[in-house]
Amino acid sequence: MPEQKTSAHRAANSDRRSFFARSLGNVTTAMMGLGFAELLAEETPGTKSLLTGPHFPAKAKRVLQIFCPGAASHVDLWEHKPELEKRDGEPLPGEENFLSFQGKNGNLMRSPWPFVPAGESGKRITSLLPHLQQHVDRIAFVHSLSSKSNTHGPGCIFMNTGHVAEGFPAAGAWLSYALGSENQNLPTYVAIPDIRGEPPNGKANWAGGFLPAQHQGIMLSAHRPIRNLQRPADIDTHAETGARDFRQLLNARHAALRSENSELAARMAAYEMAARMQLSAPEVADLTSESSTTHTLYGTDHPNQLLAAYARNCMLARRLLERDVRYVNLYCSSRASGVDGLLNWDAHKTLKLDYERHCPVFDQPTAALISDLAQRGMLDDTLVLWTTEFGRMPTHQASTSGRDHNPDGFTCWMLGAGVRGGTSYGATDPFGRRSEVDPATVWDFYATVLHLLGLDHEQLTYYHNGLNRRLTDVHGHVIRQIIS
Amino acid sequence: MTRPFKQIVLQLFSLCVVFLCVVVFADQVDAESDEREIYFQQQVAPLLSGQCLTCHGSEQKGELDLRSRATAYAGGESGSVLTPGKPEESLLYEHVSSGAMPPEKPLSAEQIAILHRWIEGGAYYPEEPIDPLAYSSQTRAGYDWWSLQPLKRFETEDVKEASPLWKMSPIDRLIHSRLQQENLRPSSPATATTILRRATYDLTGLPPTPEELKDFSVACLEETGQDHAVGEQAYTQLIDRLLASPRYGERWGRHWLDVVRFAESNGFERNAIINNVWPFRDYVIRSFNEDKPFDRLGREHLAGDQVGPGNPKIEIGTAFLSCGPYDDVSNQDPVRAAQIRADGLDEIIRTTGESFLGLTVGCSRCHDHKFDPISQKDYYQFYAIFSGIRHGSRFVGPLDARKEYAKKKQSLGEKKVDLVEQKSAIEAHSIARGEAQLAEYAQQWKRPAASPQGNEERFDPVDAKYVRMKIESKQGNPRTGNGCMLQEFEIWRAGEEASNVALATNGASAKGKARRARDFEGAYGPQLAIDGSYSARWIGYGDTLTIQLGKQETIDRIFFATDRTGADEQRGRETSPCEYRIEISLDGKTWKQVASSHDRKPVNDTHRNIRFIRSEATEEEEQQRNEIYQQISQVDRELDRPAPFPSWWIGDLVDPPKEQHVFLRGDPQKKGPSVRPASPRFLEPQVMAFDLSAEAPESNRRLALAEWIFADGNPLTPRVLANRIWHYHFGSGLVATPNDFGFMGRRPSHPGLLDYLAQRLQQEDWRLKPLHREIMLSQTYRQSGTANPTALAQDANCRLLWRFPPRRLSSEEIRDTLLRLADVLQLKMGGPGFRLYDYLVDNVSTYVPLDKHNATTYRRAVYHQNVRAMEVDLMSDFDAPQCAFSTPRRDNTTTPLQALSLWNHRFTLDMAEQFAARLRHEATDSSAQIERAFLLAFNRKADAQEQSAGERLITQHGLPAFCRAVLNTNELIYLD
Repeated sequence: MPEQKTSAHRAANSDRRSFFARSLGNVTTAMMGLGFAELLAEETPGTKSLLTGPHFPAKAKRVLQIFCPGAASHVDLWEHKPELEKRDGEPLPGEENFLSFQGKNGNLMRSPWPFVPAGESGKRITSLLPHLQQHVDRIAFVHSLSSKSNTHGPGCIFMNTGHVAEGFPAAGAWLSYALGSENQNLPTYVAIPDIRGEPPNGKANWAGGFLPAQHQGIMLSAHRPIRNLQRPADIDTHAETGARDFRQLLNARHAALRSENSELAARMAAYEMAARMQLSAPEVADLTSESSTTHTLYGTDHPNQLLAAYARNCMLARRLLERDVRYVNLYCSSRASGVDGLLNWDAHKTLKLDYERHCPVFDQPTAALISDLAQRGMLDDTLVLWTTEFGRMPTHQASTSGRDHNPDGFTCWMLGAGVRGGTSYGATDPFGRRSEVDPATVWDFYATVLHLLGLDHEQLTYYHNGLNRRLTDVHGHVIRQIIS
Repeated sequence: MTRPFKQIVLQLFSLCVVFLCVVVFADQVDAESDEREIYFQQQVAPLLSGQCLTCHGSEQKGELDLRSRATAYAGGESGSVLTPGKPEESLLYEHVSSGAMPPEKPLSAEQIAILHRWIEGGAYYPEEPIDPLAYSSQTRAGYDWWSLQPLKRFETEDVKEASPLWKMSPIDRLIHSRLQQENLRPSSPATATTILRRATYDLTGLPPTPEELKDFSVACLEETGQDHAVGEQAYTQLIDRLLASPRYGERWGRHWLDVVRFAESNGFERNAIINNVWPFRDYVIRSFNEDKPFDRLGREHLAGDQVGPGNPKIEIGTAFLSCGPYDDVSNQDPVRAAQIRADGLDEIIRTTGESFLGLTVGCSRCHDHKFDPISQKDYYQFYAIFSGIRHGSRFVGPLDARKEYAKKKQSLGEKKVDLVEQKSAIEAHSIARGEAQLAEYAQQWKRPAASPQGNEERFDPVDAKYVRMKIESKQGNPRTGNGCMLQEFEIWRAGEEASNVALATNGASAKGKARRARDFEGAYGPQLAIDGSYSARWIGYGDTLTIQLGKQETIDRIFFATDRTGADEQRGRETSPCEYRIEISLDGKTWKQVASSHDRKPVNDTHRNIRFIRSEATEEEEQQRNEIYQQISQVDRELDRPAPFPSWWIGDLVDPPKEQHVFLRGDPQKKGPSVRPASPRFLEPQVMAFDLSAEAPESNRRLALAEWIFADGNPLTPRVLANRIWHYHFGSGLVATPNDFGFMGRRPSHPGLLDYLAQRLQQEDWRLKPLHREIMLSQTYRQSGTANPTALAQDANCRLLWRFPPRRLSSEEIRDTLLRLADVLQLKMGGPGFRLYDYLVDNVSTYVPLDKHNATTYRRAVYHQNVRAMEVDLMSDFDAPQCAFSTPRRDNTTTPLQALSLWNHRFTLDMAEQFAARLRHEATDSSAQIERAFLLAFNRKADAQEQSAGERLITQHGLPAFCRAVLNTNELIYLD
């Protein structure tokens, strides 16, 4: 966006820590107020990027984050636990009386579906995801994550922003702030919610938080265009042009008398960009130009309406990434509902029924999207993340055949630019209960993501209410083992 | 001083020197230790504190704690670190002199020398351990930090270069002297129109009307005899008029609502709307309009129930505590639940610290504050103060009335229990009679009880086009079938080709009221009962499921289930139909029953008894039961009647836990030392400390804190408030981080002015209006906003105020302005807010922005029911805060989305239409209409080019097109 160029990306590198280290040579000055030079050097808080660009050469240019909200079960999808199969029906040692989110739990419960080896690596994932099995050799799994929350809303927020509370910027917003846009006609950060609704905690998942508003995720999907994008139906192109020209005339006269005020020019440019978006955004969302082979690959015409709807969103995601949208946050399923596990992966009671509904919706379109990206050579510089907010218990929930929330161990994965495919990092204990081998945090996950984008997660900061805030809070280590 | 006196002093002085020398020689050891003490306190302690103790203090990295003699001499992981007298043999010295410590930030030669001298001199430590929070250093603030020091008296600064006008007000003198230091000059005064527009928006958030413009121009002209010049008297009257306007509270109250993160939903996953917290918004607006002393407002925020018990207008203040975001999703995991509770209180502590004290107290939750002198103990003392607050509603009203109400409720409750008992007694007769005939009933109830796992109904083959199930009750509630769930409802064709014909794929359709998810229609719909899968379910919202078959069929069997596999035991049981009738029809009008549950065994005794009550009651019993039932309904109605006083979202007050501990690393499971409700240390000794007992009542705690925050000697609170006022007038505070007066915040650009304003506030008994008046009457405020290249090059951000900084209108001002221009703005104050979103609830909330804003929303934006994580066209686009945190300053962004919504949203188009209608009404031809539009929107005349272009546009595309353009101009939303 034009106004970003001047503020966010061309700003002098003025890390506040080093700034103060320079200016506070004299503590007395610091205590009495700043000298004039310092005063001038200080930017208005909350307006500038600390960056002039990446900290070091980047492997990835853009990110696709697929999010399966509701806590998609690690022990049923990604992490094979032979011990859990063997000890099915036995109590979970040491945690017989553990109270999880919804209360009491029964004995260990094996996954209802076998895990089957796939790819050259022979990595076992669930047989419920036959299409994704084709891609296991591309994937680096992180099996040893844990979450700070056992509740969906804060859990999703944590997974997206690195903080449990609302109000912090999502990863996509941080990248918008750090790297800006390479496409002036489309938003930098797009969130694609599922046709079944918004994820737990809604729009806070793609919020810009305390970053300036231009960094927030813009909601857009195959079933819902960007708001206010269309020219109102009752205004014809001539009236549109006439009104626009008159507005420009007034703005030009006004700005001429205030030439020093760059905001005025920025706002005029914003209208021009809006006009360009008005043209280019519908073009991106128009899936009719895709070949019928591609449509079939994704499943956009599948009789399962949910699958078809998600497939269209997958296709839209690829089209956005192709046009250099920096960050696409794609959701497969939505929020908590009247029946747990109905609208998302929250299989508290009827795991088998629920996942046999959700997996087919997720499997084919996601696998098709990865294949399509690979085929177009886009995986060379696109990083693909798969995330969920936490895992599920290896036991069944009391009086049900489902699993309760388990924030102590879960899996996310990544593939594409800079990722060492066919690797599995860390593990939970033999039952899948707790992260045990090489425990990793959500902050580690994002430290690695930022690293692949050429950013040092400790350097990417923004001052807010007393602290230089980071995506990785005060934590995070790059997981080198999953980087190629 | 007279000469003789001076001599005496000198003589005395030399006597003293002699005397001191004698003392020194007499007791050299003491003097040496004094000297070591002074050296330690002045040089060593600040250095250790600033450079070493962050890690080697309470954190004990490498098991080393340098705070006290004992721990420092004990050494760390690598053994001893100090060898008194021998720096070169001390590990500590070795590490700092080699640059290894502190990591990546080696000490300066001068600092290393200090440590050398200290160790050489014996590595002295005083008795008391070092308080790492005491000293400001290059890396942190201590108790000696600027903002914690007493307010300084105003001193006349050098303003010899100033014009006489700039010498009158202390504000102008302080601004001018600073400009002078940098060889800058203030700008010339703004014109009458500019200052009218600026001041009117500043105090009311609305544009001046053409009538106000005319009145002011005339008054100025009469007073000064010049066009454009501002008359002193006219301007003073203007400010007084604006300050007296009720619009003032709507504008400035909104500023404060940002600071106290006011929003009307709880955030997090449920984000449920809160419909009884709007009175707080009204209270804030009212308080600002009344110019309520701010210390009183603050006391009411923290302890309104104590300063005005029983008075709703005062108790409402404590909504400040409870109107923040908090997680209300129930959690059975006790460890997580404790963490969530701690997070909820943390939010209150943070907001209190930032709003009133301008300190980020929340940063000391897990450890002592890394940058400011706030200890973890201080934090948990705050925690103890607030630990009796729970988010929720509370009745507010006179105590007597509340007592009486509670008494009445109780007696109604007792009455109801009594009536229910009477009813049961009558029913018991029926049940007894039924039980006496159990054998006969067993004959009728031959079939097994209805099961959640599935029920089959067989009947003689019959032709049907429609089949319906009437659900009389479900297991969880014998009185209703509402809320029943069905995974599938099968209807089987009779004969050889038996198959389920109730399938959507066979052309069947299902009808039946269902629970609704408006963001995903059909989520629980009846179609799920005929989708061929025992997976997703119909959730009935009513008692009937009707299936229309693809064609007429001969059928002889029905099968349906709520929880086919039994995986969902409890819910399956509660939501499965247990009493029902199955009916068929050929035309959908006349129905014939083919099966029912009535010949099944009852599912349990409760349901059995209901059957007995229905079948066995005598006419007389029936009548008695009905009468009692009427009475119960009457009692229920009375119980439902709202209380004669409000219940507002002002926090539910409970007894705080008896003992409060520091939570080590912020973890409620790791209890550290116990703490009491007490004041933090960082303002001792200026402010009288308080230290309450662990048993102190909840209310006393908050009141004590309020008194401490507003104590006379507290310099922080008035500084923070004065700075906020300045910030809102000039767009930037004297301290550019209004919520952070600590180390990470900015230093004041004009420390003297900040202290002057803080003292003025106190002199005015914490009333804001006198301060507004003084600021707005200053020459500083009245400068023009025109740029001057020299000053611009030197101070582009205008921190020194060489001109009045131009600004964009806020989101509220933009919306209000559009409504005002269209002449449809309703000035109704107060009451429940309006919504620019559709509120969808299905377990959790979804807020969908509206495409059209109807006329009931044409109120001032401050009355919008703002919720958390909200996106509303125009409002969110133009930086209305999300209120997840205290918002001390709004962003000022420029984005294409703003352009899209202001240019294309139906609201703008509606306003353009209405604006056009107004212009047609107020002016006859297009030329006059243009003139009127410019006067209304920009408070000026159109020039010739604008006039002719405007006329062309109107001729070609109509007046609304012209209005739409005007509403989208920069001139409308940028102020000079």
